[in-house]
Amino acid sequence: MVGNFLLFLTAILIPATPAGAAEKGVKIGLYLPMTGAAAAMGQMVYEGVLVAYKLEPRILGQKVELALADTRSDKIDAANAVSRLIEKDKVAAIIGEVISSDTLAGAPIAERAKIPNISPTATNPLVTQGRKYAFRACFVDDLQGRVAARFARDTLKARRAAVLIDQAQDYCVGLASFFMEEFKRRGGEIVSVNYIQSGDQDFTAQISVFKGKNPELIYAPNYYAESALLARQLQDLGMKTPILTGDGAQVPELLSIGGPAVEGMYFTAHFHREGVATEIGKKFVKAYESAYNKELDAFAALGGECYFLVAEAIKQAGSLDGGKIAQALEGIRDFPGITGIITMGKDHNPIKLVMVLKVEKGKFAYQTTIKP
Amino acid sequence: MKKAWLNLAALAALALILGAAGQWANEYQVRLLNNMAIYITLAVGYNLINGVCGQLHLGPNAFITLGAYTAALLTLTPPEKAQLFFLTPLQWPLSEISLPFPLALLAGGVVAACFGVITGFPVFRVRGDYLAIITLGFGEVVRVLANNLQGLTNGPMGLKGLYPYTNLWWSWGVAAAAVVLVISLVNSSYGRAMRAIREDETAARAMGIDSFRLLMLAYVLSAFIFGVGGGLLAHLITTISPSLFTFFLTFNLLIIIVVGGLGSTTGAVMAAAVFTMAGEWLRVVEEPAVIGGINIPGVPGLRMVIFSLALLLAILFFRRGLLGRREFSWDACGRFLARLRNLKLET
Repeated sequence: MVGNFLLFLTAILIPATPAGAAEKGVKIGLYLPMTGAAAAMGQMVYEGVLVAYKLEPRILGQKVELALADTRSDKIDAANAVSRLIEKDKVAAIIGEVISSDTLAGAPIAERAKIPNISPTATNPLVTQGRKYAFRACFVDDLQGRVAARFARDTLKARRAAVLIDQAQDYCVGLASFFMEEFKRRGGEIVSVNYIQSGDQDFTAQISVFKGKNPELIYAPNYYAESALLARQLQDLGMKTPILTGDGAQVPELLSIGGPAVEGMYFTAHFHREGVATEIGKKFVKAYESAYNKELDAFAALGGECYFLVAEAIKQAGSLDGGKIAQALEGIRDFPGITGIITMGKDHNPIKLVMVLKVEKGKFAYQTTIKP
Repeated sequence: MKKAWLNLAALAALALILGAAGQWANEYQVRLLNNMAIYITLAVGYNLINGVCGQLHLGPNAFITLGAYTAALLTLTPPEKAQLFFLTPLQWPLSEISLPFPLALLAGGVVAACFGVITGFPVFRVRGDYLAIITLGFGEVVRVLANNLQGLTNGPMGLKGLYPYTNLWWSWGVAAAAVVLVISLVNSSYGRAMRAIREDETAARAMGIDSFRLLMLAYVLSAFIFGVGGGLLAHLITTISPSLFTFFLTFNLLIIIVVGGLGSTTGAVMAAAVFTMAGEWLRVVEEPAVIGGINIPGVPGLRMVIFSLALLLAILFFRRGLLGRREFSWDACGRFLARLRNLKLET
């Protein structure tokens, strides 16, 4: 509710496009989960897009118009939203969705209509695989899982790892399986694999199994709530094994739920404000933090990134033709974005650096950057 | 005889509209029409067991899941399946089979119906709240199984990249067939017996009605309809995962049949149509607008607020739903027209 209210306020503060303006304008569609289970993420991405829009409100000398359609975190609604943006709002490009499985409902529709679409955070490889018009601004599960394995082997020097997977989330299952593959390839040993379900509160059974196997690292690429609870229960049971997790941990709630127990937790991430090196990134961080009065997070950063990528592609294409914009997006090389220098790789997955962060003194501290 | 002609004419009009929509409507409109038809199919099936027989069945999501997964697994080609199931390979016979869409839809219905037969025995040993809880349980069981049987369903990653077979002809053809089937069943002696069970089961049994057999018939038939509807839904959105089939799907259907009037098939059809369209029409309230020179920013989520208010009003003022237990009929239409004509004559 608070989030909705904030959005409401920002929407008032941002000058609305005068209705019936003479110039044609560039229409960019957004389909995001503004309500429902993934609302928190959708709203953060939206904030990021709004800030980026404020920084660059004109493309090709024309005013940009944003059209937002809520997906209610639901597949059927996501498909409807994309259809509506294309047919009714006649958008030139689409940003969204946040969740991979909902993006997979929307991307085929945009593909048929030949409208370029870019997702800020859909990490499942299938989202862009074999599609001409689908892109993403984040790295894929494949890359993140493998980089985590490299960090575990090379930096943490762990030989024996235990893995805890939230099997109700395809994101967690994907990360864990790529981690295990790479970890074994690099000479590590997976001593135990255990499963949990989103919403589980008690992990003592799994921790007891881990305790018997004596691992040097626990890889638990789950969302923040599960990660925070895991850390607390590990501490309660007297295990000091470090935890490594994925970008799902990078929300303030991890710290509020986990408290001192999450100190020393490592995770791979898309973004950290201290790792921002580009000029546009610094400008974005400043604009975001003065507009919302809170620290910039990865979701908002990736939302803004999507907007800048689309803007850049439209500028390079010099037209609003879907095919030309898609071609320009495909050809993006060394673009200085918010989350790093971006090159669009094969399968439309960006090639960019992965950051490793650590919880230190109740804050996310920047640890290192790893090249994929 | 006249009514039969009118019914045929209505079907022909539907076919004409579909033909025109296929020709001139844009993809967004076609998608909404497809959604509408699928919800009509599901609501009509649900109304049979819940409205006509009066059994509070809360597990349609289980049957829709079964139908969707069965149909999807059968239409995917073996190479596509090998690509999807990269973590745990798909069980053997399924990994090699690929069927045309109509057969896969049918198979989805049959699998759902078989599950109906199996679960029907425990379900109809109880009535009322207990029946609701058992069916609710089955709904959850199927979803949890879909999440965990990775070698069969690909777990939480779901099935992706289905071919969009569902078009207007398939969705509306199935919807029309389901409506005709259910209406003729309800108007037959079976239907009358089902309604008797709804009003007073003990009295119905005293009259010699075999309530178990009839309830089972309705339950399995509705399961079949859910299965086919699930297959259509899967091939419309082209990606399914267990998160699509939560209790909320059942809840939406329950809203539809309650608003339409429990027990009224045509009421369920109308409510399903309104339900699917309203969700999209109300998007307007979430868009920024300029009214009288004042900028009104869009508020995401407002559409659900209005939706629930409308629902509240509908339940308050139409206690038994829009149609109650009445049905739309040509006779009623004729009477209505006659009344209009009389009014005109009087003035």
